[in-house]
Amino acid sequence: MIDVQNLCKDYVMRRKEPGLRGAIRGLVRPEHKKIHAVSDLSFHIDDGEIVGFIGPNGAGKSTTIKMMSGILTPTKGCVLIDGRDISKHRKEVVRNIGVVFGQRSQLNWDLRLGESFELLKHIYQIDQSDYDRTIDDLDSILGIREIIDKPVRQMSLGQRMKGDLVASMLHSPGILFLDEPTIGLDVSAKYALRKFIKEINRTRRTTVILTTHDLGDIQELCERLIIINHGVMMEDGRLSEIVDRIAPYKTLVVEYYDESAPEHDRCEMTEHSGNVAKYRFIKNEVTAAEIIADLSRIKTIKDVSIEEAGIDDIIKIAYGQSG
Amino acid sequence: MRKACRELIHYLDVTVHMFKMAVMTVIEYPSNIAGWLISNPLQFIMGFAIIKFVVESFGEINGWNYGQLAFLYGLSVISHALSMIFFVQGWFMGYYVMEGDFDRYLTRPLGVMYQFFFTNINIVGITDLIPGVLVFIYGCVKSGVTVNLLFIVQIIVTLIGATLIRGGIYILLGSTSFHTRSAVDFGQYTQEIMDKTTMYPMSMYPESMQFILTYLIPIGWISFYPAASFLGINSRYAGMMIPFITLAAGVLVMLAAGAYFSMGLRKYESAGN
Repeated sequence: MIDVQNLCKDYVMRRKEPGLRGAIRGLVRPEHKKIHAVSDLSFHIDDGEIVGFIGPNGAGKSTTIKMMSGILTPTKGCVLIDGRDISKHRKEVVRNIGVVFGQRSQLNWDLRLGESFELLKHIYQIDQSDYDRTIDDLDSILGIREIIDKPVRQMSLGQRMKGDLVASMLHSPGILFLDEPTIGLDVSAKYALRKFIKEINRTRRTTVILTTHDLGDIQELCERLIIINHGVMMEDGRLSEIVDRIAPYKTLVVEYYDESAPEHDRCEMTEHSGNVAKYRFIKNEVTAAEIIADLSRIKTIKDVSIEEAGIDDIIKIAYGQSG
Repeated sequence: MRKACRELIHYLDVTVHMFKMAVMTVIEYPSNIAGWLISNPLQFIMGFAIIKFVVESFGEINGWNYGQLAFLYGLSVISHALSMIFFVQGWFMGYYVMEGDFDRYLTRPLGVMYQFFFTNINIVGITDLIPGVLVFIYGCVKSGVTVNLLFIVQIIVTLIGATLIRGGIYILLGSTSFHTRSAVDFGQYTQEIMDKTTMYPMSMYPESMQFILTYLIPIGWISFYPAASFLGINSRYAGMMIPFITLAAGVLVMLAAGAYFSMGLRKYESAGN
């Protein structure tokens, strides 16, 4: 259970002016500027949830995740994990979390993968029997035994990601943080990672919190989305609810036998080229069947299809709202 | 009490394992070992050869004869080597800060400073130990100190204290990068200063500098006061207690360094993705 209360993180930046003159002025009389990377975030995450943090680059996702996993100290506010403040009881609280950074490995570069696991076994004081069981368990999902004797430096990015996932789950944490885990992975490695996340969430009830730019990750994994931009929360809710709320429309694509296309008073024609016309309508106001019926009374229709608002539309709209 | 004991055992267990991994890493690249084995000892043997030359030309340095200088030089190099094994990462702390490498240590249930130094144990530092021990034994023989159990205990206490003083200074300097957010490699300067003040009798420097090196930056306790005391050379401080003063100074510097490090860590900003 995670409770985030009024979380803020400010960075102090020194203002830089151009040229040597500017550099000297900055040295003699520095001007500081406060940057609010994250301001006043509050939310609650229950055990066993999978939550996706999304937002454009520089939105404050990573800063938030780093505060939640004890890496950064919040300027204001706090993160309570099972009721305890992570920045005050770091050592105890982090026993129950696992962290994977897509761009930074925790594995020892020079040695075989198994050595990194052995070290973690000692750091987290894992019993040999628990350790063996966890490895067996994770091996059945990821096939880790095939690469356990390979030196990490010789691994592909996908193999290294598998290694990092296992490393972060060895001590069976209740919460797993993943910061852009699918970055740079190929299709099959992405598939393996998503399967892994779904499996541990289903079988171990691990709470998963991830940031991603990958629409596939969001669609397949996240029951709940938190959209952040400029350090402020834009949306928090179920994916389907967010879609209904900020993009409550569908698009009807109609193909006619010639180039003229009739208008319809209960929807908007968004595109018309050649024989094809696109009509956008609000889901709750009118149905596609009604529109098709009306249109076919005016003109003969050759073909129809319906486009749902995609996640990318949602994200574009959500990001755009803040300018 | 029980809890503290359990924690100590946990740390020892992890340390032993990290040592094993460090050795495995060194073995992984055998050609590097050969390079270190040649260059590192050579550096100090040459340094000592220069002292030998100077002493043979002038008779003695500031009242210290050849054997006594070897004793001082050896003592200094041994604690230098120990500090290289355990604390050399302090020199490069700025790079770790800039690269965001502390993220990993912060998400593990162990002390951050402990992990920083011990996940990066520098086994190769042992190559500095070899010339240090050789010159020290040579100095013991030449200067005719009586080697008994008390002497050995005193030397060990001195070396622990001296290593802590050096390590603490590296940490203090390295921790400034949390505040400045820049990666400056203090290593070379630190070692220059340390070499010049611990390998030769400190009494050859002006009074004001000796004052600073005794009370403000306790470098004098690394090798000069202990060696003078062991050898019975007249200096400001002498006696049985000297090794323990060195140890106390080491613990104090380390405590200050730890506090400054923790202060810096709260300002740690990680690195952007």
